[in-house]
Amino acid sequence: MSSAPSARRPLGAWGSGDSPGLGRRRLFRYGAAGATALLAAGPLAGCASPAGSTGPAALKVWDLFQGGDGMLMDEMIAAVSRGADGFHVDRTILDWGPSYYTKLAMSAAGGRASDVAVMHLSRLAGYAPGGLLDPIDLDLMAEFGVKEKDFAPAVWKRAQHEGTAYAIPLDVHPFIVFYDKDVAGEAGLLDPAGHLAPMGSPEALLDAGKKLAKATGHSGILFGHVTDTAQSWRQFAALYAQTGASFTLPDGGPPKIDIEAAVKVVTFMKQLFDGRTNPNNLDYNGAMAAFMDGRGGMIMAGEWELPTFRKSGIKNLGAAPFPQIFDRPAVYADSHSFVLPHQDDPDPARRRQAHRYIAEIIKQSLTWASAGHIPAYLPVQARPEYAKLDPQSSYAAAGEIAVLDPPNWFAGAGGNFQNRMCQPLQSALLGNTSAEKAVRQMVREADTLLRQPNPVA
Amino acid sequence: MTTTAPAGATAPSHPHSSETPPAPRRRRSLTGGGGVFVLPFLAFFGLFLVWPIVQGLWMSLTDASLTLHDPEFVGLANYAEALGDPDVWSSLGNTVFFTLISCVPLVLMALAMALLVHSGLVGQWVWRLAYFAPYLLPVTVVTLIWTWLYQPDIGLGNQLLTSLGFEPVGWLSDESVAMWSVAALTVWWTVGFNFLLYLAALQSLPVTFDEAAALDGAGAWRRLWSVTLPQLRHTTVMVAMLQVLASLKVFDQIYILTKGGPNGSTRPILEYVYDVGFTGYRLGYASAISYVFFALVIVVSVVQLRFFRQEG
Repeated sequence: MSSAPSARRPLGAWGSGDSPGLGRRRLFRYGAAGATALLAAGPLAGCASPAGSTGPAALKVWDLFQGGDGMLMDEMIAAVSRGADGFHVDRTILDWGPSYYTKLAMSAAGGRASDVAVMHLSRLAGYAPGGLLDPIDLDLMAEFGVKEKDFAPAVWKRAQHEGTAYAIPLDVHPFIVFYDKDVAGEAGLLDPAGHLAPMGSPEALLDAGKKLAKATGHSGILFGHVTDTAQSWRQFAALYAQTGASFTLPDGGPPKIDIEAAVKVVTFMKQLFDGRTNPNNLDYNGAMAAFMDGRGGMIMAGEWELPTFRKSGIKNLGAAPFPQIFDRPAVYADSHSFVLPHQDDPDPARRRQAHRYIAEIIKQSLTWASAGHIPAYLPVQARPEYAKLDPQSSYAAAGEIAVLDPPNWFAGAGGNFQNRMCQPLQSALLGNTSAEKAVRQMVREADTLLRQPNPVA
Repeated sequence: MTTTAPAGATAPSHPHSSETPPAPRRRRSLTGGGGVFVLPFLAFFGLFLVWPIVQGLWMSLTDASLTLHDPEFVGLANYAEALGDPDVWSSLGNTVFFTLISCVPLVLMALAMALLVHSGLVGQWVWRLAYFAPYLLPVTVVTLIWTWLYQPDIGLGNQLLTSLGFEPVGWLSDESVAMWSVAALTVWWTVGFNFLLYLAALQSLPVTFDEAAALDGAGAWRRLWSVTLPQLRHTTVMVAMLQVLASLKVFDQIYILTKGGPNGSTRPILEYVYDVGFTGYRLGYASAISYVFFALVIVVSVVQLRFFRQEG
């Protein structure tokens, strides 16, 4: 009945991050728009900084931001390009996903990489040890006004490898919940201030799902995971971290995982998405479409979907960190960071410029926050303008309790590990396998990856 | 009609047709100045096909990775690992399964469609266009369309099933169904090419045999079985060979549609090669798996060729 409009809408959802194959059209579209903008801006920029003329002097940057994110990055680059000492930036946008990391690794292995690149912090363990990244000069960063104390410790720690900084985080992008405030209000889930009230227990979240389903007349909590290579893992990792157990991937294996806690989490996920109040068979776009159609009161998704939900016309959109239902607060997250891909023969002046560029862009991250991302640079988070951003500021705390992938060369965004973890989890959620079997398969898969020779060591 | 007719007529001389043994027609080529004209092709062929094949073979004997690390010679270790790797076997099994379930309908349906069109339906060009049009779409578009058709919740497939009173199907989420869904998409997408080959062959058949059989009192079915189909034998051999090779190479639509899921049930061998080589950086091992697969493709091609030759 309503399939036509809902089928059309989510097309806009692609490209915002996690659907590599489908982002290409957007890449072209915005690439063309970007090219036009560059052509238009070129002569002006040339006037402003004659020294920075075109060609080899332009700072080469690589990133993976398409769609809305890509346009915001354009805006930030435009902001740092103004003025007498503005940068001349040669930006290359590559398609997000495994292929981005392949290209980044190859360019660094070739020794002639871009001056600056964006990387998910969870991938650092696959790049820093093998010499694919050059270290960040923290003295230089301090000179440009960016210091260690400007970042949440959880995030800063992951930017290091063996005590050396290899990345400067731009944002933290957690896996959170979005909800329809009207529906949640009807279901009695809001606190007096109109925000999602704390849950506190698995039973409370199960109950919330039922109440939301009643309020919408369809589904309660939505979650798209079918054929997705990251979603189930993100949800599992968030809940598993909340149990207080740790999941580590020591080289050579076996993986260290608390089986009991993992089974508890997967059992809960199966209960939550039992196919009755909460559908268990949605794919990413299907869940997005259902939420925007009002067929669910809440969706578990990445904060980067904020612009898509806004555009969809949901009147009273709320957002909150992933609900705490086990022993301690934790949310699954990753962080877009700036790195210096390895160059065989870096030019010191350009290197200096690269550091200054990173510092300047990070200071622009209020613009970045408008898309939903939490700025990693705390001085921006402390600004009153950020506090006014709603619902962004309501989940800003997620940055402090962020849990990233366990570090190893194959783990992290767009890596094999997430994909392999998602397969058994998907089977469990679909009811094809038990929680115990799914966890056993996850351990087996992790062990297989750990026993492979490490190509970056 | 004016646009499709020449396309149909030229189809038999499609470059691929050289892969089947054509009528032995030898020319005194490569003599005189002819060689000069082939040189650019030979150079490209050597540089971009032969050399990479040799390079890949060498790589499969090393532990080459995409990263900085210098490759070391490891002998046949990669091959030994590949033969003992359950993921190699499962993805190889998926590829073979896909080939079986896609090739049969792709050949038979193309033949049926060509016969229907050739039998003199009104509005010939509409049928030709309708059957061939999906083939013109790029893989991303095809996959996008079918992703929505296969949507568990709002997809046309399940809407149709539930409105008829059936249980919804997990088109892409049920491990025992997903590969069939991929095959259905592939058939819809590519059957037009085989259809065109058959149609061109049908149109070039001499009508005299058919007329003679009709005069002798043979009915339509009898003429189809005893006159038309035997004359299409060479086309069938060619279509089947091309189809088996194309199906063995399956990658794009699966990579976009399911990423090899659910639970690895649709992951073809080429995706595993991609995962190992480009996501896992292990170029040496990925090359070894490619060569195992290459060997399989050659065996299949040779067996197929023998089989058809014996028949003839």
